[in-house]
Amino acid sequence: MWQSIHKGSVSVEPAIRQFLPPCQVQCPINEDIQRTNVLISLLPDDLELARDGILQIGDYLYEKNPLFTVCGYVCGLCELECNYLAKGGAIRRRLLKRFISDTYTYHLNQKEEFNLVKHKENVAVVGGGPGGLMCAYDLSKRGYRVTIFEASDRLGGALWLIPQYRLPEKVLTSAIDSLVRITGIDVKYNAHVGEGKLTLEKLVNEGYKAIFIAKGTPAPRILTFGREKVEDQSLSGVMYGTTFLYEVSHGEIKPNYFRGKKVLVIGGGNVAFDVARSARRLGGETTILCLECEDRSSKDRIPADWEEIRGAWEEGIRILYSRGVSKVIGESERMKKIECPRCISVSDTTGFNPQFDLSDTITVEGDILIVTVGQGPDRATLQADNLLDEKGSLALDPLTLQSLNKEWIFIGGDLRRIGFMADAMRDGLTAAESIERFLGGLDMKEGRKREYEAQDIPRRAHYLSEPEVMWIPPEKRMHFQLFERGFTLLEAIEEAQRCLTCGPCVSCKACLSIGIQESLSNVEVNKDRCCGCGICVSVCNYDAAQSKEIETKRISTTDMFKCKSCGMCVVACPSNARKLVGDNMEKKIEAVYASL
Amino acid sequence: MEKYSPKLVCFSCKFGWGYLSDEPALASRITNWIPVICSGKIDTSHILKAFRAGADGVLILGCSEGHCHYQDGNIQTEKKVLLLQKVLETFGIEPERLKIRFSVDAEGKSIPLLINTMEKKLVKLGPIKRL
Amino acid sequence: MVDKPKVAIYWLGACAGCDESIVDLNEAILQVVEAVDIVLWPVAMDFKYTHIESMQDGEVALSILSGSVRNSDHEEMARLLRKKSKLVLAFGACACFGGTAGLANFKTKEDIFNWVYRDAPTVVNPENKFPQTETQINGMTLTLPEFYDHVYTLDQIIDVDYYLPGCPPPPDLIANAVNAVVSGDLPPKGSTLAPRMALCDTCSRNKKKPSKMEIRQIKRIHEVEADPDSCFLAEGIICLGPATRSGCGETCIKTNIPCRGCFGPPPGVVGAGPKYLSALTSLIKAETDEEVREIIDSIVDPAGYFYRFTQPSSILGRKKPGKHMEE
Repeated sequence: MWQSIHKGSVSVEPAIRQFLPPCQVQCPINEDIQRTNVLISLLPDDLELARDGILQIGDYLYEKNPLFTVCGYVCGLCELECNYLAKGGAIRRRLLKRFISDTYTYHLNQKEEFNLVKHKENVAVVGGGPGGLMCAYDLSKRGYRVTIFEASDRLGGALWLIPQYRLPEKVLTSAIDSLVRITGIDVKYNAHVGEGKLTLEKLVNEGYKAIFIAKGTPAPRILTFGREKVEDQSLSGVMYGTTFLYEVSHGEIKPNYFRGKKVLVIGGGNVAFDVARSARRLGGETTILCLECEDRSSKDRIPADWEEIRGAWEEGIRILYSRGVSKVIGESERMKKIECPRCISVSDTTGFNPQFDLSDTITVEGDILIVTVGQGPDRATLQADNLLDEKGSLALDPLTLQSLNKEWIFIGGDLRRIGFMADAMRDGLTAAESIERFLGGLDMKEGRKREYEAQDIPRRAHYLSEPEVMWIPPEKRMHFQLFERGFTLLEAIEEAQRCLTCGPCVSCKACLSIGIQESLSNVEVNKDRCCGCGICVSVCNYDAAQSKEIETKRISTTDMFKCKSCGMCVVACPSNARKLVGDNMEKKIEAVYASL
Repeated sequence: MEKYSPKLVCFSCKFGWGYLSDEPALASRITNWIPVICSGKIDTSHILKAFRAGADGVLILGCSEGHCHYQDGNIQTEKKVLLLQKVLETFGIEPERLKIRFSVDAEGKSIPLLINTMEKKLVKLGPIKRL
Repeated sequence: MVDKPKVAIYWLGACAGCDESIVDLNEAILQVVEAVDIVLWPVAMDFKYTHIESMQDGEVALSILSGSVRNSDHEEMARLLRKKSKLVLAFGACACFGGTAGLANFKTKEDIFNWVYRDAPTVVNPENKFPQTETQINGMTLTLPEFYDHVYTLDQIIDVDYYLPGCPPPPDLIANAVNAVVSGDLPPKGSTLAPRMALCDTCSRNKKKPSKMEIRQIKRIHEVEADPDSCFLAEGIICLGPATRSGCGETCIKTNIPCRGCFGPPPGVVGAGPKYLSALTSLIKAETDEEVREIIDSIVDPAGYFYRFTQPSSILGRKKPGKHMEE
C-alpha cells in the first residue's frame, strides 16, 4: 500500500521557531494532529486494505500518547481552535481519532511489548489516573523503573467518572491494561500513600529516587450557600455526583434504579451533565439546577459543552438556570425538597462570588438530590507532607512541577489544577522530563519554556461545511451504550481530507512518510531576476510568498515555515525568478520528452 | 501505410491519482506518464515543450473540486489550460489535443483507460499539421 | 591618422522605425558621425551591393541589423553583412524576436498571398496575378526574392553578438550601445544591451499595487478610463510588464497605455508568451466554473496579444532553434 512507513527516516522535528497549526497549539500534549489527518485522508476506501494503514497510524499515535484510544471518545480540545471553525465548521478530529481507536483497541491485545531496558533509578508515581499513567509511560521509555501506587483497586482515576455512553468500559480497560503490559510498569493496588505507614519518606527509604504525585481530586465539594455549608446534606437521598458516577462505573447500580423518582442535580459543569444523563438513563425524571445562566455571551454562562446541553435537552432533562440552593428540606430523614433563590451573578472581579435575589425563590421537589459542584484535593495529606506554602497553596514551580519544599517530589494533574484529561497527561510528561533532569543533575529549566504561534488558515476558493452530528434518536438512548455513531471509513477519509494542513511542513511530513514525495524542496528567489511584481504574493494560498522592501527595491521572499513547496509561485512568476531547489520534476519531464 | 500511433504525454497529480498503487508497476504499463505532486505545478512551458518535442496530445489528471491538497492547484491548472487552448488554436493545434480531467482515483486503475480513450481521439485528429 | 571604426546600419524585414530611432539621437548623432564611419545606411545614404561585397571579411566593426528575416533577400544581406563584420547587433524587436511581423507565422504563405493579392476588399486583380520569383521579359530573366513561408529572427539565420530590443529601441540605449562599441568596453558575447529586470522593477505604479491582486473582469484599455496611478494588471487590464524586460523608460505606461511587451522576455525566460499566460491566469478569480470560463473567453486574441513581438522566437513558433540569449 503506502511505500514507506512512518518509523525510520522521516521523524517530525520538535516545533522549530514555535510554529504549529492552532489545533496542535491547543492540544496540551501537542499531538501530531495534522500529520495523522493527512494519513487518514490517504487510506484506501476498502476496510480490509485500510486496516494496515489504520494500525500504522495508531502505532504512530501510540508512541506519543498511549491513551489515545480513550481521547478519541472524550477529548476534542483541538476542535475549539481549528481554523475551519469560522469557515464551515471545525474538523471533527475527535471522531477521526475515534475511528482509528475503534480498530486499534482490538489490536492492543496483540501489540508487542516494548521490552524496555530499565537500567536507571526507581521512581514512584502516586496515583494511577491519566497524569500518573503518562508519567509512568514516559519514564519507562526513558529507562526508569516505575511503580504506580494506586489507592483504589483499578487504574484510571477520574476517567472512571465518565459514563459508558460516552466512553465504553472496554476502550478504557484495554488502553490501561495494554499500557501496563506493553511498557512493563509495576502497579501496587489499594496502596494509600500518605496514610498510615505508607508515607513519602518510606518510599524514599525503599529506594525510590523521585516521586510524582498525581492523586487527583477525589473529594467532592459540599453544597454551600453564602460560604456556609448547607444543612442536611446527610439526609437519605442526598448524594454526591462523583460518588454516584464511580458507583455506576463499578456496576453497583441496578438499571431503572431511579424509576419513578424525581432526581435533582445541582451543578452546571460537564460532570453535572454526566450525572444528570446517567440518572435519566436509570429511569429518573431529572432536572438540573445551576448558578450559571443560559446566555452564551455572558460572563456567567454555563460551563458545560453545548453538546452535553443539547443531548440532555433531547433526552428530556429540564434545566433551571440561575438557581442556587439555600436550603435542603427533608421529611422523615428523607430528602423532600430544596429552596432555590435566583442567582443574579456568579463571579466578579474577586472570583467566584455568587449573588442572589432572595425575593425570587422557588421550591423544587425531589426524591434524590445529587450534588455535583466540583471536586477538591485531599488538603490534609498535602499539609502533613509539607507540600503547601504559607498561603495554603501548593509550593510548586509551575514550569518544572517540582516541589519547592522537597526537591525529589513532583506534582501534577487535577491535584495541581483541575483540568481536562489531556492537561493531566501533559503534567505527567512535564514531570517525567523534570525527573530525568533532576536525577541526572541537569539544569531543570533550560530550553523548556515554549510558546507556540498558531498558523493562519490557508486561503482557498471553496470551503466545505462540517458533517452532521450523528447521534441515535433520544428515545432510543435510554441505556448506557454509545449514542454517538462514529465515522465509517469513507466518512473518515472525507473528513480528514477537509483538513487544510495549516501547520508548517516541518512539523508534519505526512507526504514524505508514506512515499508520496521524496523530499520537500526549498523555494529560492533569484534576486537578480525578481522585479517585485507581486504576482507570487497574490497566488500563494499560504501567505508564504511576501513582498519586501530592500533599500529602494521591491523583491519577493519566501517564509519557509509557511511554504508547502507546492510550486504555484514558481509557475506564476513571469520572470522565472523562483525555483524549487532539488526538485526533480524538470529532469523527469526532460527524460520523457527526450524519448518522444 | 504504417498505422499512425499518436504520442500522448500524461501528467497526473499524486495526491489524487495512484497514490495507493505500486508506482513502478503502473509506470511500466503506461508510457510517457509523469506523476507530479500537484497539477498546479505544471507550467504552460511544460505543455508547449511537449508539443515541440513531438507529442500529439497532453492529458492532465488533476483532483476534483475542493480536493486539492494545496488548496487551489487544480483551479489554477484549469484556468491555464482554458486560456492555453485558445492560444493553441491560433497556432494550428486543435484544442482537443490538450485535455484536463478532474477526479480522484487512488489506485490509478483508470489511468491506462483514460490514456487509451484519448489516444483514439488523437488518431482521428491525425498528427499535428503545422509545427 | 587612425581609421574610424566602420559601422553598417541595415534594414531587413523592417519598418524603418528603428532607423528613425537612431535619428532621434538628435544632436548626439553628430558625435556618432564624428566617432564612426557609417558605410551603409539605406534610409539615409545611397549604396550599391558591390560596395559591401568588395570589402574584406571583418572589415566592418559593427553591423546594426534591424528587421526580421522574411525573404531570401533578407537572408542574403544578413549573411553578407555577417561575413563582412566583426560584430553584429540585432537591433529592435524584429531582429531580436521576430517582432510584430512575426504574427504572420500564424498563417501560411498561401493564406497571406491569397488575401493580399486576391481576397482583401480593396484588391483589384481580375487576372489573379501573384508575384513569382522569376519572370522572362524581352529574353532576359527578372528575379524577385523568394517569400519564405515563415518569419525568422536574426539569430535563427546568422550568428548574433548582441541584442538591443524595443519597438523601437530608445535613443539612450542606442547611444550606450554605440559608445560601448567605440570604447571597446563590451559585455560578454550574446548579451542584451538593456537592463536585466522585468518592467515592474522600474514602473512607478508597482509600489501602489494591492498585496493580493484579483482579476474579476478583463477590461480592454480602449473601453475604460484607466486610472493613471494604478497598476493596470490589478485593475484587470492586460499589461505585459511583468513578463517584459525593462529599459524603455515606461513611455507607454506614462501615457496611460499598458505595456505591450516590445522589449521581449527578461533573461532566463525563453517564451514570454506562455509564462505571462501562467501569471495572468493565476490572478483570475471567480466564484464558479462558468464565471471563470466567461472571463477567459473575454480575452480577445490571446495568442496575438501575448506573442505580439515574440512569436518567431517562442517555443511553438520557432522553426529553427535560435541561439541562446544570455541567461
